Amino acid sequence: MGSDMGLIVKTTARATIPLIGIFGAYIVSHGHLTPGGGFQGGATIAGAGILFLIAFGFGEMKRRYDHHLYSALEGLGGLAFLGIAMLGMGVAFFYNTLWHSGPFFNGQPGTLLSAGYLPVMNLAVGLKVFAGLVSAMVAIAAYGRWKE
Amino acid sequence: MKKTFGALALLFLLGVLLVVASPSTGIKFGLGGSEWMKYRYTDQYYIDHGVGEVGGTNIVTDIVFDYRGYDTLGEATVLFTAIAGAVALLRPWRRDEDGE
Repeated sequence: MGSDMGLIVKTTARATIPLIGIFGAYIVSHGHLTPGGGFQGGATIAGAGILFLIAFGFGEMKRRYDHHLYSALEGLGGLAFLGIAMLGMGVAFFYNTLWHSGPFFNGQPGTLLSAGYLPVMNLAVGLKVFAGLVSAMVAIAAYGRWKE
Repeated sequence: MKKTFGALALLFLLGVLLVVASPSTGIKFGLGGSEWMKYRYTDQYYIDHGVGEVGGTNIVTDIVFDYRGYDTLGEATVLFTAIAGAVALLRPWRRDEDGE
């Protein structure tokens, strides 16, 4: 293909992409406890995807990237966000009913299973941001419009 | 000379804005009557009540997903629209195929 980078970059990317992904997943899942959240964690994981695209080239990315899967993931994230916001419709849009009277996610503040819909919403937004940013990067790489 | 005058005018406008927007000297607007300060500057309220009302110890997430949920909804819409627009603009057009 020729659009990939050298051996050193590829080896480094192979070592760091899983770590970046784990760190991003940590930012997303602890979004209601520590600094960060869905958007930041999703952008971090998308950074791992962009590193993959740059290091291994567009040919390898095209083999791994399924347009329909990412489209569905982004839609799922957005719909989950809206649906969870709808849960509190008995009081108001965006009312945190899981935290006040929900069956789960209502533990002690500061624990992982607390804060009502916040962790679920973080997951949804993280998924959406990750799928969206990777799709945007692939679109920019696929339709190269800058021909000298 | 013209440039100096422009810079001074900008500086003057900035000063006027600072005075107008300051809570102690500026104009009062918005909800609340005599308690307008409580309704306009809500940061202390979020710090005091955020953990109790929303449950997350990260106050920023409390604000972004609960108090200012509509803002996050709009941000998600903006992201979706940006990507849809990027793909729609970048993908091959019919004119490109005709020209080449």
